[in-house]
Amino acid sequence: MNTSSRQRILERVRSATGAAAPARIAETYAALPRDYIRQGAMTREACLGRMIERLREYDAEVVETAPEQLLTAIGAQLEASGKRVFVAPEGLPGEWLIPGFDWKVDRGLTTAEIEAAEGVVTAAFCGIADSGTIALHHSPAEGRRVLTLLPDWHLCILRASQVVETLPEYFSRCPKPPALATYISGPSATADIEMTRIKGVHGPRFLHVLLVHDEGIFRVAIRQGLDSESARLTERDDLPALPGTPDEL
Amino acid sequence: MSSVDSNRVVLDPRFAPPFPQGALLVLRNPQLRKNVAHAIDVIQTKRDKLVAEKTDWQALRTAASAVREHVLANLGEYLVQFEERCTAAGGIVHWAADAAEARSVILDLLRQENANEVIKIKTMTSAEIQLNPFLETNGINVFETDLAEIILQLGEEEPSHIVVPALHVNRSQVREIFARRMGLKNLSDDPQELTNAARKYLRQKFLTIPTAIGGANSLIAETGSVAVVESEGNGRMCLTLPRTLITLAGIEKVIPRFQDLEVMLQLLARSATGERMNPYTSLWTGVLPGDGPQKFHVVLLDNGRSSILAKPKQRQTLKCIRCAACMNACPVYRQTGGHAYGSVYPGPIGAILTPQLMNMEHAQSLPFASSLCGACYEVCPVKINIPEVLLELRSQVVNQEREQASRIFDPLYLGLRIANFLFSSAGRFHTAQGLGRIGAHLFTRKDGWIHSLPGVGAKWTQTRDLRGLPPQYFHEWWAARRKEAK
Amino acid sequence: MRASLFITCYNDTLFPETGRAVVRLLERLGVELEFNPQQTCCGQMHANTGFRREAFAQAKRFIRLYRDAETVVAPSSSCVAMMRDQYPGLIEELGDDALRKEFEALLPRVYELSELLVDQLGVEDVGSYFPHRVAYHASCHGVRALHLGERPYRLLAKVRGLELVPIPNADRCCGFGGTFSVKNAEVSSAMLAAKLQDVVSTRAEYCTALDNSCLMHLGGALHRQYVGMKTIHLAEILASSEADNERFPVEAIR
Repeated sequence: MNTSSRQRILERVRSATGAAAPARIAETYAALPRDYIRQGAMTREACLGRMIERLREYDAEVVETAPEQLLTAIGAQLEASGKRVFVAPEGLPGEWLIPGFDWKVDRGLTTAEIEAAEGVVTAAFCGIADSGTIALHHSPAEGRRVLTLLPDWHLCILRASQVVETLPEYFSRCPKPPALATYISGPSATADIEMTRIKGVHGPRFLHVLLVHDEGIFRVAIRQGLDSESARLTERDDLPALPGTPDEL
Repeated sequence: MSSVDSNRVVLDPRFAPPFPQGALLVLRNPQLRKNVAHAIDVIQTKRDKLVAEKTDWQALRTAASAVREHVLANLGEYLVQFEERCTAAGGIVHWAADAAEARSVILDLLRQENANEVIKIKTMTSAEIQLNPFLETNGINVFETDLAEIILQLGEEEPSHIVVPALHVNRSQVREIFARRMGLKNLSDDPQELTNAARKYLRQKFLTIPTAIGGANSLIAETGSVAVVESEGNGRMCLTLPRTLITLAGIEKVIPRFQDLEVMLQLLARSATGERMNPYTSLWTGVLPGDGPQKFHVVLLDNGRSSILAKPKQRQTLKCIRCAACMNACPVYRQTGGHAYGSVYPGPIGAILTPQLMNMEHAQSLPFASSLCGACYEVCPVKINIPEVLLELRSQVVNQEREQASRIFDPLYLGLRIANFLFSSAGRFHTAQGLGRIGAHLFTRKDGWIHSLPGVGAKWTQTRDLRGLPPQYFHEWWAARRKEAK
Repeated sequence: MRASLFITCYNDTLFPETGRAVVRLLERLGVELEFNPQQTCCGQMHANTGFRREAFAQAKRFIRLYRDAETVVAPSSSCVAMMRDQYPGLIEELGDDALRKEFEALLPRVYELSELLVDQLGVEDVGSYFPHRVAYHASCHGVRALHLGERPYRLLAKVRGLELVPIPNADRCCGFGGTFSVKNAEVSSAMLAAKLQDVVSTRAEYCTALDNSCLMHLGGALHRQYVGMKTIHLAEILASSEADNERFPVEAIR
């Protein structure tokens, strides 16, 4: 019954379009016009600045840190959350499991256990500055999909070197298409009631991003306004200076 | 009196009233018109701002249109490729020739799972095949999980927009629905509170119901993956927590490669909700051991799409990515909202898609539900020339109707036939103009204007005056001037 | 330059003063005008209502009448849009190769009025004087089909004494849409009501446009409601001069 539907549908489709040879199809595909922006033109500082700005526009909290300060920064985030029970993906670096909290490492946690947790900490695959998007490929350090879905609070550790400007750049970064991916642009929201954007329907209501400056650029200066063409107008003075770090912005 | 229009809206093109009648019901409802206009204006303002900032917007549209045209031109091969890859990854692919078959396939799958409840992600395709009432009749409880869909389900309402289906409902109406159906006595109409109520209402369902039904924004042929775009997280819940997932998708949803998402995703959220990116996009391939549903079915739906594919002037209809930019831009939709179209697909895309899915046997008034202003074509991310398709469908409807006895004396048909007769000879045209002058005299008032006409003319004069015929037509003036010059 | 005037069926019948203004204006600019008395209609009304058979007939007729014209000018964006957007498909369907060649040779020589002035004659200041507050309605065909862009605004900017006021939501359709105004009269009127709010908010004395079709619809409601604003085709504004205003004050013409 179903195979004959398959046959009927494919017959109708093929008679509607004719059937080109695969080589020809590949040829025409390769010749499709793609004059859109593939590679961004921003400087690294500007790109990172835009990433931060766009994340904040979507109500994600962003804190910058230097690689040497990472563990301290994670600790500070966890402390500030007021939460105790966190889930962690199986492949999360061990040292990120800051002592003093109740860690549930996912070696086959039940849904109930994950639901009982208060927060989750993960790495990420890529950040896309243009839209303030975090791409998760659910690798061992990023965790199963349910881990970043049920807990109300998500701390995502994103390296500066993982941040690209445009969406096409993210795609060129993928060595091959991921079998699983989740793109997150801000906490969950709905605009279904009178078009008012309301946070936190399902999915974590609180998204925190720790941006680790592994490219040596620290303390990205951000302008208060929304145009981050150049992300360098106001010095932020709320970040601790590092001894010996060139303050070259 | 319920807080929403108590006239039961029928979104079945076989039974819905023709557009002018459907529209009239809405035009007399100030609350609904205000809700629609407000929602539209919010989205449009956001969309326009983001489009202005996206300097390669037109290049993206060109690429998206080309990709979609390419897929449609090679749809058979890409569908087969998708099926192969999805199956290799552990998915099971079913093919449904029409709505009835799709419903029956889905019901069978649910029976196999002994499922008597399902959680559902919003998918217009399921509304197209009228899945929910069918499942309910067969003893399956369907729980919609999209906030808008919950509002509609609990309020016993019909969707009026394909992205924001409850945009015709305002916050106090939502409050009333939730208070009544969720038994929440002290609920305010603050959207945050309403949303929290929905969150609580659904949490247990997500965690316990093992079967989910959803749709797809894109089916990726290269990998056999499915992509779903959403805002609230209910999609992710339904896509990862249950044991069994059934994805229903029209055959036109295919895109060639994973990389093509780089184009589609940049266009979709900006067009649909005026955001650079929607909060959550999920991509999965078949069955992933240890992560998400371990039984995954895709139901590929034809239901008239292959017929549209076969018609060169109409094929472009299938490029649609269901972003609703057209209805957000449409000045007709802005006045009438979606229900007037009598279909789950309203607005400009609905005006062309609905009658075609019905094989031009129903919804024949929809291609005429447009002033042909072209705003839809201007905003369509995949460059569907909706006005062109509207015109093509109009001529098909007229060809169907013109031979019918009932149309021979239809004032509009008669009038146009006569006009054509007159236009084919200047002599006839001028004679008719002369006679017209005599006739118009009867209706022209002292101020030189006509305030009221009979028959078809009354449709004009019910809200507009018409200036009377001039003492000298232009061609007469020219002829007289020429004579004078000699 | 010699140009053949395609007045359009509805202008000939309902708005001859627009035609007279086009003649006055173009002759003032030194254009030698012709008028083919055999002309009737471009077929848009039929094509847009789904009567393609009839539209074929009118398209063929138009092409035959004008195939030898050096230049054709029409004071109507929608009619010119019909020729650019729909004639190619209609001609293609007819399968008449000779006709297609004639059409392809003719089409580049057909202009809407503001195109003729700005592009072909290269003028923006046409010597006009029209001392009134004016709102310009950008009709959909002009904006989206012909991409007239700045042309009408550049022409209006050079009219002496004219105060141009922008209409909010200028790109939104007025709701005329040809037979739509009658087949979907209520929706058309709802769109008209929304448009009127925007137009009336300008407090202009005149609402002008390049299409009398839109103006007939807007003007019909303005008149019905005693708003005190008049409609006038852009050609009539451009044709007005100081001399006219002395001898023929605009108020007296109507």
